[in-house]
Amino acid sequence: MSVVTKNNDNKWYLPGILIGLGITFKHLIKNLFNKKQMLTLNYPEEKYEYSSRFKGNHILTVKKDGAIRCTACMLCATNCPADCIKIIASEHPDAQVEKFPIAYEIDMLRCVFCGYCEEACPVDAIRLGPEWQTPGLNGSNFIYDINHLAYRPALKGGIQSVLDDQDRHKAGI
Amino acid sequence: MSPTTLIKCTINGVELEVAQGKTIIQAMTENAQRIAHYCWHPGLSIAGVCRLCMVEIEGNPRVQIACNTMVTDGMKINNTSAKVKDAVKWGLDFHLINHPLDCPVCDQAGECGLQDQYMEYGKYDPEMAEPKQRKRKVVDLGPTVVLDSERCILCSRCVRFTNEVSKTNELGIFSRGDHSEIGTHDGKPLDNKYSLNTVDICPVGALTSKDFRFKQRVWYLKDADTICNGCSTGCNVKVYFNKEGVFRVKPRFNEEVNGYWMCDEGRDTYKVVNKEVRLLKGQKFANGQWLPEMHAGTAVKDAYQSLMKAAASEIAVVLTGQHTVEEYEAILSNFQNTFKTKNIFHWVNNPEIFEEFDGLLLRGDKNPNTKGLLQILEKNGIKNPWKNLEDGLKSGKITHLVVFGPENIPVFPDLTAKVNLFTTAKNLIYFTAVNIQQLRDYSGNNTVTKIPLKTYVEKEGTFINFKGLAQKFKRATTLVSEALTGVEAAQLIAGHEIKVVGHPDNSLLTPASTRKDQVTLEHRKKNEFLFTRGRL
Amino acid sequence: MQQTSSETKYLTEFYHLPEFKGLEGYKKNGGYVDLEKALKMQPQQIIDEVKTSGLRGRGGAGFSTGMKWGFLPKNDEPRYLLCNADEGEPGTFKDRMMMEKAPHQLIEGMIISGYAINSKKSYIYVRGEYDESINTLATAIQEAYKAGYLGKNILGSGFDHDMDIYRGAGAYICGEETGMISSLEGLKGQPKLKPPFPAVQGYLRKPTIVNNVETLAVVKYVIRDGAAAYKKYGTEKSTGTKLFSLSGNVTKPGNYEVPLGYPLKDMVYTLGGGFKPGRKLKAVIPGGSSAPVMTAEEAMKATLDYECLAQMGTMLGSGAIIVIDDNQCMVECLANLMHFYHHESCGQCTPCREGTGWLDKIVHSILAGKGRMQDIELLIKVADNMKGKTICALSDAAALPVLSFVTKFREEFEYFVREGKSKVKGVAYVAHNSH
Repeated sequence: MSVVTKNNDNKWYLPGILIGLGITFKHLIKNLFNKKQMLTLNYPEEKYEYSSRFKGNHILTVKKDGAIRCTACMLCATNCPADCIKIIASEHPDAQVEKFPIAYEIDMLRCVFCGYCEEACPVDAIRLGPEWQTPGLNGSNFIYDINHLAYRPALKGGIQSVLDDQDRHKAGI
Repeated sequence: MSPTTLIKCTINGVELEVAQGKTIIQAMTENAQRIAHYCWHPGLSIAGVCRLCMVEIEGNPRVQIACNTMVTDGMKINNTSAKVKDAVKWGLDFHLINHPLDCPVCDQAGECGLQDQYMEYGKYDPEMAEPKQRKRKVVDLGPTVVLDSERCILCSRCVRFTNEVSKTNELGIFSRGDHSEIGTHDGKPLDNKYSLNTVDICPVGALTSKDFRFKQRVWYLKDADTICNGCSTGCNVKVYFNKEGVFRVKPRFNEEVNGYWMCDEGRDTYKVVNKEVRLLKGQKFANGQWLPEMHAGTAVKDAYQSLMKAAASEIAVVLTGQHTVEEYEAILSNFQNTFKTKNIFHWVNNPEIFEEFDGLLLRGDKNPNTKGLLQILEKNGIKNPWKNLEDGLKSGKITHLVVFGPENIPVFPDLTAKVNLFTTAKNLIYFTAVNIQQLRDYSGNNTVTKIPLKTYVEKEGTFINFKGLAQKFKRATTLVSEALTGVEAAQLIAGHEIKVVGHPDNSLLTPASTRKDQVTLEHRKKNEFLFTRGRL
Repeated sequence: MQQTSSETKYLTEFYHLPEFKGLEGYKKNGGYVDLEKALKMQPQQIIDEVKTSGLRGRGGAGFSTGMKWGFLPKNDEPRYLLCNADEGEPGTFKDRMMMEKAPHQLIEGMIISGYAINSKKSYIYVRGEYDESINTLATAIQEAYKAGYLGKNILGSGFDHDMDIYRGAGAYICGEETGMISSLEGLKGQPKLKPPFPAVQGYLRKPTIVNNVETLAVVKYVIRDGAAAYKKYGTEKSTGTKLFSLSGNVTKPGNYEVPLGYPLKDMVYTLGGGFKPGRKLKAVIPGGSSAPVMTAEEAMKATLDYECLAQMGTMLGSGAIIVIDDNQCMVECLANLMHFYHHESCGQCTPCREGTGWLDKIVHSILAGKGRMQDIELLIKVADNMKGKTICALSDAAALPVLSFVTKFREEFEYFVREGKSKVKGVAYVAHNSH
């Protein structure tokens, strides 16, 4: 880290303060008479509209039958630079599915929202959704488990994956 | 034809001398030349079915398979030409057109022959547009192995293994053409003492071990060489571990000891080294209750104080064949010098089957170092029949008993009886790696101190196997950092400080037998990204 | 080289006589005379005689029989003679006729051959579907045993020979010599890796000679007439006569014996009787389904001998001539063949196991009107990379027809892909399930 040292010759602070105040007042007047162009908003009554492609909180997608799409391949966990994904795999009773996660946890406080998990996923099982306002009371609220990731109320029963086992098998892939 | 006759040949421009009667693939693998292959395995007969080990021989217009072609004098062999590469690429394509490519689900991903060869020879756009053949998935072959027929490339290694090595003939290839499938005869299970070797030699994810299935992705695991502590054969093995523990054991080639194989029993030895079953802290039972847990070192020091008060004839030591030669030496010298005791006993776990041998690897003596213990006892002139200990405990002559207990407890059927016997001593100091039930539940009038020991994957040392072959091994990982090795325990209990012993010569421990042509885990670890990203 | 437009009855001289099937009728027409003659000769003499006769294997590969026998190790190890009567090649039906019309001819040839290579045991591996042949042969072998031509001390010569029939279970691949040996050993009928060759290590790991029915039957005639007389038939390098199984769109299909070097044109138009009115020749597969196809122009120039056909890029094979007229769709023909090879691949070597299935699927998808233009090129690429890459020749047998069909009749394939229907028949087909 480099330290910037300033020439300390100029010891008059008042002009600077006045110029600053001037700018502030200019904007105050402007905002008072032209509310539409105001740059701030009254959060939380007003909310900013992000693009639908905003990469916010994770979503685990589901298959047509509502079961979790994830195959527990661990590529997201391997790829995660923050090491915040934890998966425990297990044997699925259906031989065509074979492997599925019985636990899938993301530590949102560690997550850096880089989206690598989404990119690594071979089966479109994890996506970064548009949701971003997720307050919590303590640290444990930020460890999202499989139920929250796939079936939280905001998802209205789960987001369907574009890739389905049944379809894949029918296509002979 | 004497086996030492050397003939000259040129492989990829390198002039080599190989023994007469060798096939090209042998010559190549022995001389660190990479060659693609699936069905050929140095420990099995030649099948010649995968057609991947193509080489170009000067003077022959067609590419030949290297596994069934003998090297002749002056032969010029090449497997790097465009012609060979194209042949291998197509060979690979034929393997892959009906392969399901379910790598995300497959347990072999990361150490898969198809992935390895694809990265080296493939990297093409697949042209197969037709639906793939469907076969059975998740077939239960037996108590240890699961089959996925779709992933199978029908290299027949597993079939040949059951025919030639285990000689149990359970497996076969049924149907023909691209409907061919591995299966068991009459639906009988694949159930033999060596069944998991089929999983090791399977180049793809067709055969997977029920025990290891879905536990870990292989890229999260590090491997280290060690010696199996399951029996007196002393198979050379690799243990695969990460910070969560040890997950599997696989054989490592050693012609003198185990060849390419190991038994299923030996693969279970990792189960007694993981944290869940281990004794993590020292603890003392005195005045009718267990005192709070304490550091292992403190517990040993405490034990030392109690032993110092005892007379030499009151102290006895019990050893099993489960520790290293170095540990025995430290224990014997410390007890003989400090406590002047010669009451050192050998706990034999299963004398009735001690001499048994199944003809391949499994031996009745389930201790890795019985020979080493006997040699050292003999060197020190100690020969105490077990009865003396029983009598001594009964008559109260022996009051202070130090036991270096076994770590592989499943092979100690007499554990309960013996521990009950030991607890009749006034002061029992029990060193153990495993947290054993009998001691946990102890309640009586005597004093019992249990002190954690390290297991065979956490220490270095020497095992001497049944035929007197001394095999050194290195520490693989540390699972219980507080536990003591036998050497440390012996020094501490004799009142010494732990001395840092110089590391033994490393050159003995570098594996000489890895197949140089194969992408080993070592290779993959060199991938910096994986190395820094893996949970190691 | 003699040129006739009619049949030359040499092997088949007495085939029209029903009694030729039995021992009495056979003996009446010169049967077992040559066995007596042969037993008085030295074994090496017989081998030399066969070698000079230029007799080449009639099963498909056309390898010199005498030379094959010469590969046997010169020691007293037990050795076996196997007669390959697993006639599975589509279009071939000559061995069946030989076994049914003249079983003793084969038995006599086999005893002579067995004597020549000093084998005390021989097996006839008959195709499982050939019920009639098996029954006839079984009766004939019993007769031969009774008459003292088989068993201990044959005709007082001190030579012992036993013969058995082994019934195949219906696999094309068991017609391949090592596949047949595996099947005979009780294993799955899969070809074995060569080397070691069967002549060194075959049935039960002992030296073994495998010959076709026709080859072994001819041995009798080589002994009867001598090598020089036998060589008068046929061409310089392809000596003798050969039975050809003529099938397809000719009016008179059947087995015809002609000397080698006989023009294919005469075979089709004279012996085969030409075509139905209004049809004309389009293609000929000259040597069983594994042989590359010939166009009509090529076929008109060809003669039926090993060299000429090899020169034209095809082969004589087992002598099964399949004639295709202009009313047939070549895509359909190829699909038919591919279905056969897909079904019959033993599944041992990867290129064949996967390749035959792949080819089958591609051709059937073209046939169903779902073909892509690049599929035609892909067929060639796949076939090219199956060729010569496996233990036995089945993958070649599947690849060669593909290569020849696609290169020689490419526009028919392209039309099918482009229009989604056959150029000849004007319709597409729903691809039947290929298994």
